Amino acid sequence: MNQSGLRPALVAIGAFGALLASLAVVITLTSDHAEKRGVVAAISLAIMAAYIGTGLFAWSRRPHNRTGALMTAVGFAYFMCVLTASDQEVVFAIGVLLSSVFLVIALHMVLAFPTGRLATAGLRRLMATAYVAAVVMQLAWMLVTPDVCPDCTPRPPDNAFAIWDAPTASDVIMIAASAIAAALLAASATVLVRRWRAATRPGRRALGPVLFTGLALVATLSALLAVQAIDSSGAVVDVLSIPALLAFAALPYAFLAGLLRNRWSRAGAVGELVERLGAARARLTETLADAMGDPTLTLAYWLPQAQRFVDSSGRTMALPVETDPFRAATLVERDGERIGALVHDRSLCEEPELVSAVAAAAALAMANERLEAELRARLEDLSESRAKLVEASLAERQRLERDLHDGAQQRLVALSLQVHVARAKITSDPDAAAAILDRARDELRLALEELRELARGIHPAVLTDRGLGAAIAGLASRFPLPVQILTTPLARLPTAVEAAAYFVVSESLANIAKSAGASHATVRVARQNGMAVVEVHDDGCGGASMEHGSGLRGLADRLAGLDGRLEVVSPPGGGTTVRARIPCESS
Amino acid sequence: MRVVVAEDSVLLREGVVRLLQEAGMEVVGQAGDAEDLLRKVRAHKPDVALVDIRMPPTQTDEGLRAAATIRAEQPQTGVLVLSQYVEEAYALELLAENAEGVGYLLKDRVADVERFVDSVRRVGEGGSALDPEVVARLVGRRRREDPLSVLSPREREVLGHMAEGRSNHGIAEALVVTERAVEKHVTSIFTKLNLPPAEDDHRRVLAVLTYLRST
Repeated sequence: MNQSGLRPALVAIGAFGALLASLAVVITLTSDHAEKRGVVAAISLAIMAAYIGTGLFAWSRRPHNRTGALMTAVGFAYFMCVLTASDQEVVFAIGVLLSSVFLVIALHMVLAFPTGRLATAGLRRLMATAYVAAVVMQLAWMLVTPDVCPDCTPRPPDNAFAIWDAPTASDVIMIAASAIAAALLAASATVLVRRWRAATRPGRRALGPVLFTGLALVATLSALLAVQAIDSSGAVVDVLSIPALLAFAALPYAFLAGLLRNRWSRAGAVGELVERLGAARARLTETLADAMGDPTLTLAYWLPQAQRFVDSSGRTMALPVETDPFRAATLVERDGERIGALVHDRSLCEEPELVSAVAAAAALAMANERLEAELRARLEDLSESRAKLVEASLAERQRLERDLHDGAQQRLVALSLQVHVARAKITSDPDAAAAILDRARDELRLALEELRELARGIHPAVLTDRGLGAAIAGLASRFPLPVQILTTPLARLPTAVEAAAYFVVSESLANIAKSAGASHATVRVARQNGMAVVEVHDDGCGGASMEHGSGLRGLADRLAGLDGRLEVVSPPGGGTTVRARIPCESS
Repeated sequence: MRVVVAEDSVLLREGVVRLLQEAGMEVVGQAGDAEDLLRKVRAHKPDVALVDIRMPPTQTDEGLRAAATIRAEQPQTGVLVLSQYVEEAYALELLAENAEGVGYLLKDRVADVERFVDSVRRVGEGGSALDPEVVARLVGRRRREDPLSVLSPREREVLGHMAEGRSNHGIAEALVVTERAVEKHVTSIFTKLNLPPAEDDHRRVLAVLTYLRST
């Protein structure tokens, strides 16, 4: 049922409840056999109004929580109990048959708290047994017991469901039913106690009212059962019944009071929270944890640039998922901008108003703290990229070693052989020796070219000597496609920045030559707002990404070492722009 | 022809010196760094100074700076700079607005003795010598609208040789054609590219380079 359809439905249920409650009063007051009619009518009215009223209230506040519905059901089920006051035989019999159902529903409500759903298969089996016992055994007992209340005066109507009089069978069923009821009550008490022990602090606060009233209910019923076992004379039961019923009628009010007290204390807690946040920003997590009553609370800060959450020490963290049974996250936003998230005990989801009030109050302080978290995250990134740089430089050395070994060194070995051979032939066959030396000279030229290219790849001398403009012009002139150099800075930049910018251009151009299907490229290097901005654009097929090009990945790491950032804009069919921003405040 | 050689690698310096001596040149001084070079050039006033671009103490471009000093102080001394790398930036800086008595060659060219000696001689006589790779890059650079497309393949070839600093005679020898044919090509190139007429070879180099740089 959706939110808008719920309210009229609840109003209708409430109206029907009011109607039944009036009917209950009429039935009780007009009863021939009921004792203390006025008191009983008042108690009936009180119980029905209490359960249906508070149930509907809870239902409207937490539409997805079944507790409210169960409370309402208790109120309606109590009406069946009232029917035992009827002078009509069949109505009286139906009342007797269903007279204990409201107690079972109440037990159900307590055991299903806080979600209104029975959490385990064991609990579901327990409740199923209770419902069956309450109706089926009662029916069996009624079939063999014509007089359901031998000591009652004045006499109630005859049991319309009785088919024969079997006092022994009647006693056996009664004893069995009592035994089952005792077992159910003991199991329920155990469950409640165990749950209380396992609960976290905020969980206990939420469970408290219902757990205690639930235990009180179980205790009362146990006492009734015990008294009945000792002496089943109606008078004693009646005397005990009235205070028991009064207590039962008070239970939903206790629950309601708990709910309201929670709201009041919440308002107080948030006011105090705002004050404390201003005073002690450093202890933000503790302060928020206090306000929410959840010592396990942690804060997650959102880094919009990196698109990830980090904890207060800057380490990347993941938020708990929807289905996590223990933890939940509430996003903290400020002016529509995501600041971070509160990661808390899942039981706090039962108090959405509290959590959202804390989240709202925390937004400002968290926005401030986020700056610090961001700084820590960057430090964390930095040490990570430093490690990557070390790795990269190691890999680079290995590549250099391989290139030297496979290229220049092999050629030099071949050369030395050729010189030996030529030397041996120089007198016997001077022409052959000359031909060999010619080949050796060519080989030598190639070896020199290879060495030169290798050295340039490590660090171009012209970059050190003449700066970016000259070095990029050199790159462009060696490039197989037209390269237009739009701007390069006139003044020199810090050495590391120049080197990084140079490699952004050379790597990007290399990528363009390899794959982009471009007809030309443009290069722009400019100094803007304390940043060196390097842009290499081509008119190729696009679709490039950092994930695919290991070269670009390596560049990003190299830039991260300088606190720089690399971005690749490459819509399919729209060309590729590689843009690097490298901070360079001083030169 | 009197030469001063500045090169910090003793091995290479000895090799170059021997090579020049065998070609009939007189090596009047040898230097291992820029300061030493300047001292010896001032003392000996050679026809040409052969200068390694990287020398102690910084191993960056002191050769280039020394070359600029020599050209400013002694215009009659030609300077041929040898470099490990071919960089247009160095070449163009060196030539600046005067290609007279200036050369810029890749160090490897030393191995091609004949051409190398020819280059030294040319620079010593007030001509120019620009490394073929620099020229190839200037001529061969990919342009979005290549102005050189108006030239015939042969004219492109001639243009390259002109940029290297060769005389018509040198070009004719390299291409195995008559000097007259070369002259015709040169005139045609200057007309097609709309270049100002230049009489001396080194002026011609500058005109061609200026043109190539600007496109």
